[in-house]
Amino acid sequence: MAENQAFIEIDNITKWFPHKDKKLLHIGQEKQWVKAVDAVSLQIRRGEILGIIGESGCGKSTLGKLLTRLEEPTSGDVRIGGVSTRELIRRDPKQFRRKVQIVFQNPLDTFTPRDTIEKILMRPLRLHHIGKDDAQRREICLKGLENGGLRPAEDIMSRYPHELSGGQLQRISIIRAMFLEPSFIIADEPVSMLDVSVRADIIRMLQEMSRERNAAVAFISHDIALTRYISDRIAVMYLGKIVEYGDADDVIGNPKHPYTKALISNCSSIDPEEEQEHIKIQGEPPTPVNPGPGCYFAPRCYKACDACFKKYPDAADFPNGHYAVCNRTADN
Amino acid sequence: MGSKKYRGLARMKEAFFLDGQFRAGVIGIIILLIIVVAAPLLATHNPYEYGPDNLVAPGVNGHWLGTNHMGQDVYSMIIYGVRTSLQVALISSLISGVLGILVGGIAGYFGGKVDLVISEVINAFLMIPTFFLILLIVALFGNSITNVMIVIGITSWPGNAKLMRAQALSLRERTFVKSAIAMGETRMQIMFKYILPNGVFPVVANTTRGMAGAILTEAGLSFLGLGDPSIISWGQMIYAGQDYITVGWWVSAFGGVAIILTVIVFYLLGDGLNHVLNPKYSFDKGGK
Repeated sequence: MAENQAFIEIDNITKWFPHKDKKLLHIGQEKQWVKAVDAVSLQIRRGEILGIIGESGCGKSTLGKLLTRLEEPTSGDVRIGGVSTRELIRRDPKQFRRKVQIVFQNPLDTFTPRDTIEKILMRPLRLHHIGKDDAQRREICLKGLENGGLRPAEDIMSRYPHELSGGQLQRISIIRAMFLEPSFIIADEPVSMLDVSVRADIIRMLQEMSRERNAAVAFISHDIALTRYISDRIAVMYLGKIVEYGDADDVIGNPKHPYTKALISNCSSIDPEEEQEHIKIQGEPPTPVNPGPGCYFAPRCYKACDACFKKYPDAADFPNGHYAVCNRTADN
Repeated sequence: MGSKKYRGLARMKEAFFLDGQFRAGVIGIIILLIIVVAAPLLATHNPYEYGPDNLVAPGVNGHWLGTNHMGQDVYSMIIYGVRTSLQVALISSLISGVLGILVGGIAGYFGGKVDLVISEVINAFLMIPTFFLILLIVALFGNSITNVMIVIGITSWPGNAKLMRAQALSLRERTFVKSAIAMGETRMQIMFKYILPNGVFPVVANTTRGMAGAILTEAGLSFLGLGDPSIISWGQMIYAGQDYITVGWWVSAFGGVAIILTVIVFYLLGDGLNHVLNPKYSFDKGGK
């Protein structure tokens, strides 16, 4: 496959949840929807890490679940190497699960508390018939743990999840995902619950995995500095929509969308002397219940004009595939 | 390879020393089990044998607790009655536990329409006056002890099912279930490997308490004359003794005491298990 061709194609994927109203009767009332993910289209190449950032509640995690089909999309589809995942999962769910793996936010809850690490690691191997027999599978597990820096591996294998730290468990989670040799990995805030000291290890493992296996990675996070460090490209999400997309350095170094600008300006710097102008955004993010009709960010935007409230803006294109969905990118 | 035991065992040990209820329950059940195994050694007479002494008071002629109107030794009957009570308790709660766990687990995990239908069935069963249903079935299908056990089992599962359903509902949202799906496990594998083993413990505690109810139900049936006449049961002793209550109080009274003690043991054990299996429960009462 050509290097530049998109491997993962997210095509207008949408997830609406019915909104539970507290009122008893709904006579003459239209059904309300929470648009958690609203027509998101993105592309990821092989070996590329796409960072997805946004504040909490913007639909990042729902997007992650849609990509792994833990949630059924309301409409739209994801294609892997040109094949629709809808088709793939109907034909052979096991093969799909092997191709697409997810690393969750909370490592302490990722494994069933009643099994040892040995049982936890052996299970997917057996399930997907990796290795000839149990002895060989055990070898694979031990080697995986050793390579992941979990030593002594024999000792780790005999432990229960509650006896290990979050960092160790998250590494095991990644190791387990690697066993299945996935070609698409979703990392849903994999380090946000971990100590800063172990974050670097986890990030390195993810990077190695994407490089060695030439896998596509979707890295979901609210940590802008970290996302810039790990990602090749970045997509900024606001209320279920992508508002800006481009190369990591372009988006962070030269943000075009006012929301991205505000996010970055509020990102703390190590240097206390550095002069930084914080852009204040007022209020909470509005509820994603029937937003619009204008730009979703307009009510909080410091640059909004009348046009912004009337119609959802079109994307403005910049070099290198960088785009921002905003009317006011021209007048900076 | 020295694999470590699950912390549940350590917690049981801790609970045994710190939780008075659990300790009393465990000791009580051990005593009951010893009586079951060693009944022939502990009994002074053959409880099925009609002896020459009719309705003698406690202490007379080596009858520690007296005899009934047929000359059967009350003490030996009580010893042998433990077998009946425990048999009823275990088998009926096994039926109720397994039924409840499976039905509740399926309802909670699969959700949607399956849950809707099953929940209504559970509610319907909860509405039925249980004891009346048992009476009806025993009257229709005969009063063998097997029938009694099965009937108690299939009328007491809805409570367990409700509990298991709630467990499954919360477990299926946990990350480890999602990650199992992402690993490619099928729904059945997730149900039996992840949902049931992690959600079963409150149901176990509830079932243990349900055993006390089963013993009481069996005694109640026997008291109404619907017990199995070919076995020795405490309920029947009370039933048989009521005609002679003014001249031979001991026939009914000791049977009643035995029922009360056994029921208390199962309640203590069930409550104690509830403490042990609930990780949020702390054994130090003072809150150090």
